Amino acid sequence: MNVDEKVKEIFQQVLDVKPEEIQPEAKLEDSLGVDSTEMVEISVGLKKACEVELADNELKKTHSFNEIVKILKSKAIV
Amino acid sequence: MNKIAITGFGVISPSGIDKRKFWANVKAGRSAVEEITRFDASKYASHVAGHVHELDAYSNVSSRLLKKIDLFSHMALVASEIAIQDAGLDLSTENLNRAGIFMGNAIGGWLYGETELRDLYIEGREGVSPFMASAWFPAAPQGQVSIHYGMKGYSKTVVADRASSLMAIAYGARTLNRGKNDFIIAGGMEAPVTPYALLCCNTSGMLTHKNENPAKAYKPFDKNRDGFAIAEGAGIVTLEPQERVKKRNAHVYANIIGFGTTTDGVDRIEPASDGVELAYAINIALEDAQLEPAQIDYICADGAATQIGDVSETKAIKQVFNGNAKKIPVSAPKSIFGNMLGASGAVDVITTILAMENNMVPPTINYSEADDECDLDYCPNKAQEKEIKNALIINRGRGGINCAMVLQRA
Repeated sequence: MNVDEKVKEIFQQVLDVKPEEIQPEAKLEDSLGVDSTEMVEISVGLKKACEVELADNELKKTHSFNEIVKILKSKAIV
Repeated sequence: MNKIAITGFGVISPSGIDKRKFWANVKAGRSAVEEITRFDASKYASHVAGHVHELDAYSNVSSRLLKKIDLFSHMALVASEIAIQDAGLDLSTENLNRAGIFMGNAIGGWLYGETELRDLYIEGREGVSPFMASAWFPAAPQGQVSIHYGMKGYSKTVVADRASSLMAIAYGARTLNRGKNDFIIAGGMEAPVTPYALLCCNTSGMLTHKNENPAKAYKPFDKNRDGFAIAEGAGIVTLEPQERVKKRNAHVYANIIGFGTTTDGVDRIEPASDGVELAYAINIALEDAQLEPAQIDYICADGAATQIGDVSETKAIKQVFNGNAKKIPVSAPKSIFGNMLGASGAVDVITTILAMENNMVPPTINYSEADDECDLDYCPNKAQEKEIKNALIINRGRGGINCAMVLQRA
């Protein structure tokens, strides 16, 4: 599973959204109504799924799906 | 007090969610208390309870939100929706800055809290859902209802053990008396059928140990009573002042016309044995309602089924009603579905409204042997036909909390 798929899977688990509802460039807050607590859950899920260290608040609800994938890739996750 | 109208209600109970089904079960005295099977409760001294079975069929809550909230908030949301629909309120036309929420519960959201605490000790910090912070605490249902409907007026959550929701409804009514809101939704919710919450209830020493026959375990005012059976559930009512009711030509089930509360100040669990402070609370409520004791047609009792609780409640009723006490039916319909702790007052209000509507006093079930010290008409085992204009509702809580409310049929 590549990083895109992992992020989509965590979004589905935490937010109960279908993959087609995820708009790659839109802010999560605006497109999926993500709140700050959900963002913590997404962050914890991605840390486990990608085995990567993420600082608190490194991922934000103002990020888009693509930006989150980019942050993870910058940590050498593929 | 100026009378405040109850224009709608929603009940979530082991005896049903649909109000006709709820009333049919209550009227028939059909017990809904069962053995606890949600987890292994067999080693608890008391392991019987009333469970809500039909919540999903009535739920208006998304699966995404359900992950973030405890059962007690879920029941509050469903009961609020039923109450708002029942009252015919169109929230899109209301000034929601003047719409209040008054809720009561005794123990908060332990189903969620316990699961996450277990995860904390097993998996560590990151095993805990971040929603834990907002899911367990007693004001969580108030917050969720506020978010769901955008209701932003003066609101409160009351924590006063088993008297929580009766107090919440009374304080909601008083807030409307002061003109602070246009309307209020008020009531209570409780989800105590969880391992830790059940343990806490057990250690209070107030629960029945008659596990061998759950349906017959909770026996208020009976000589062989040994405490109550817990239950989960919720009750929500809509409260509106008279001018507004007239303006929108709303149906009124009943009016809240009086309320009184006192505290015993004798023990951290048990009430005072003499019933004096409870009698004082009843007298305050009657004075607030500008009624004489003889004008009360029905008393919906606290009926904790503890030795001291039922005797002191009986004494208090006798002190207030004197020679009339034995002529007024006194019943504890919660013996049918179990004691919903902080939600029980709201459900008592709803049960009393249905009793008024149907000219019928709901029974105290499992009554088989009279106690010399409990010698009133407890409407044993069978509903009694009676026209009810004015009713008194009594709720009490650990630590000697006494509450009394007077309802008048519209």
